[in-house]
Amino acid sequence: MTASTATAQPIHFWHGLRASASIMIGYAPMAFSFGVVAVQAGLSPWQALLVSVIVFAGAAQFILVSLIAAGAGFGTVLSAVLLLNVRHLFYGPALVAQLKTAPRRWTPWLAWGLTDEVFATAMSASSQGRLAPAWCTGLGIGAYSAWVGGTAAGAWLGAGIGDSGGWLASALEFVLPALFIALLAQAFQRSLWPVVAVSMVSALLALIWLPVHLAMVIGMLSGALIRPWLGRLGASS
Amino acid sequence: MSFLALIVLAGLGTYLMRLVPLVSGHKMNQWHPAITLALSALGLSAIATLIVLSISGLWQASPQTDRLVAMCLGTLAVLLSLRLFRNVGLATLIGAVAYGLADVGLKGLL
Repeated sequence: MTASTATAQPIHFWHGLRASASIMIGYAPMAFSFGVVAVQAGLSPWQALLVSVIVFAGAAQFILVSLIAAGAGFGTVLSAVLLLNVRHLFYGPALVAQLKTAPRRWTPWLAWGLTDEVFATAMSASSQGRLAPAWCTGLGIGAYSAWVGGTAAGAWLGAGIGDSGGWLASALEFVLPALFIALLAQAFQRSLWPVVAVSMVSALLALIWLPVHLAMVIGMLSGALIRPWLGRLGASS
Repeated sequence: MSFLALIVLAGLGTYLMRLVPLVSGHKMNQWHPAITLALSALGLSAIATLIVLSISGLWQASPQTDRLVAMCLGTLAVLLSLRLFRNVGLATLIGAVAYGLADVGLKGLL
């Protein structure tokens, strides 16, 4: 690494941090909701914060607390979280292909912040040119701070909102479905509609006879397993 | 203790799923194509499944017409905001607020 590229790293990092503002706007209220929902589900504010600090995966965290609240076992909760995050396996190679240089010492930090929204923002920025690893790290750190800060605010300041019975309490009930609808709309490709349809129908049918956590595994696996039969109709989801 | 172990394992698993492909992403191209395709669809199928489960939970709690209309309005608000702002977090927030207002406003009207 030359002296000029070394001195450019903090600038790239700062620019990445500034670029994370759009993610922060969305993350802070969503994380606030997570804090409130987690405390409602029976976690202490410190436990709710710990989940955000250690796991840092939006949708998976909501599932984690809802399954804990439903009394699901250790293995069920863990497998649900990990299955939901399997899609992250495909982010790294796609991101590396858009970097100016190999990430090297930035790799552990870059991986830490590689959420759906960070990946989507980085891919969108890469249409303007190759990305500096320090820029991507700044983007991830900004998103992480908003997520952890929002969770803390929700866990400590949001107490009572869920039980108030007003529009805010109703709004909190819909945060999780709204998040999944937005994620599906973002990831959807027309050629992959059978994956979505099979997952939804099999989950709905499974719900008639089975508990929620089993219906979840059946829905996830049945949709994914028909993907190879569709051939290479679309890119990865 | 088991809560802490669960959180640490969930965090570690999630982190490794982000880190390992960053370090050795090219090796994934050597997997059987059917496995790669199925894995690539797992995220989409998980999200589709979770929509069904979360909506059905909400519906079972209060199976009323006004709640159904509120759900439709909330969904519409999510999709429109996502189209306008292209930000998942913001679309989620707007959809939740739209649902909250509709759920309270429509109560008893339908």
